[in-house]
Amino acid sequence: MKVKDAMINDVSAIFEDESVEDFVVACLRKMRTGLPVVDEKYRVIGFISESDVIKSSLPSYFSLLRSASFIPDTHQFMSKLKEIRNDPASEHMFSPAITVKPEDTTLHAADLLIKKGLKTIPVVDDESRLLGYINRLYLIKVGLEGKINSE
Amino acid sequence: MQVLTVTLNPALDRELIVDDFKINEMRRIRNQKYSKMEPGGKGINVSLILSGLGIPSIAMGFLGGFIGAVVERRLREASDIITSHFCYVDEETRENIAIIDQVNDTITEINSSGPLIDERTLNMLKRRYEITLNRVKSVVISGSVPPGVPEDYYAMLATKAKEAGKTVIGESIGKHFEVALKAGHYTVAKPDLRSSKELLGKKLKELDDYVEAAQEIVKYGNKMAIISYEIEGDIVATQEGVWLMKTKARIEQSHLFGTGDSFVAGITYSLIENKKELLEAAKIGMAAAVTESRFIGKEFFTVEDIHSNMNTFEVKRLR
Repeated sequence: MKVKDAMINDVSAIFEDESVEDFVVACLRKMRTGLPVVDEKYRVIGFISESDVIKSSLPSYFSLLRSASFIPDTHQFMSKLKEIRNDPASEHMFSPAITVKPEDTTLHAADLLIKKGLKTIPVVDDESRLLGYINRLYLIKVGLEGKINSE
Repeated sequence: MQVLTVTLNPALDRELIVDDFKINEMRRIRNQKYSKMEPGGKGINVSLILSGLGIPSIAMGFLGGFIGAVVERRLREASDIITSHFCYVDEETRENIAIIDQVNDTITEINSSGPLIDERTLNMLKRRYEITLNRVKSVVISGSVPPGVPEDYYAMLATKAKEAGKTVIGESIGKHFEVALKAGHYTVAKPDLRSSKELLGKKLKELDDYVEAAQEIVKYGNKMAIISYEIEGDIVATQEGVWLMKTKARIEQSHLFGTGDSFVAGITYSLIENKKELLEAAKIGMAAAVTESRFIGKEFFTVEDIHSNMNTFEVKRLR
């Protein structure tokens, strides 16, 4: 089975110069947890998710700690979050973008989702322009239907 | 992708079949099948009809809340060749509720006005619209406008599409549409006269009123105007002249549902093939509308269905 048979045809995205706050508002309203980041030609240049925003709002030493209880006060998180709210989304995105093409196999997409620990992968055309996305739940559904390995 | 449809005010069309419906009384829906939910709004309807004709499209517009999410989900389930691209607002997308009583042969409709569109979302859509224009050949901008949308928004959308060299087709009514008509950037403008027979400050009564209104639309610079005249007829005006297209057989009022959207979809389909053949496109649109009138509800039909209905109406030159 190919990506084009399992993808969701939705091209919602955030522009590279739109703010972190624009991203958060869009995600809340759309009930999504991340969005592709695109340039003026609608080429996918990265991906931003809620975890990227959390990561950017925590002190840099946080990843060394095992527990959040080591953080002296959550106020730090709040003030950092306010600091980055007007930053361009591109400053906090994950890039370069991991993408798949409609003609790729769903097995390849599933492999990327698992190995890279992703929830969503944007689907792009030959010019890297956004066509839709593929997500874990849909792939699981396709898997349950026994279609992942089929032609 | 070939077509971009813009629906600023989509709806969740809910159809409830309740026998012997009366106000002030408790009624039960006998079967879950009698409570239907479908994505609606004129641009979305055009996307759905085009999908039946095998034409892929991008559907764009404003959605909001849980109802908006249902509209998007249902649209996705309805077709594999429609790509969604909606900007979301906080308030809920509207619901159009129709209570159908088959015993007394009545339809009771309750339509809401739509969510408030905030400035952030207006700008987000505008920017996405401009970029999406580069990916399509034609743009269809149809339907009503929700609260918060500036009066020149339709005109702005049509102007940008024209500047990008796209075919621009629009069906609507009201102040927003009239501002856009006067800007004169439509390839095809089709006033939607279902709720009011008033256009550009004039009441339309006689055939001549309709003809003059159509000519006025063309005078503003729009390439073709189409105005429905009585149930079975349509006035078509271009710079070359004015025609009346009229079906040979009578059409029941109850079968008119969705014919306007089919007309627009037929024209859009035809103009993708022959960009310059305006009158031919109007004929294809008319045949698509006649095809749709064979059904009571929203149904999908094929290109063959349209061609088999090309002889069901007459075209008479008026001016």
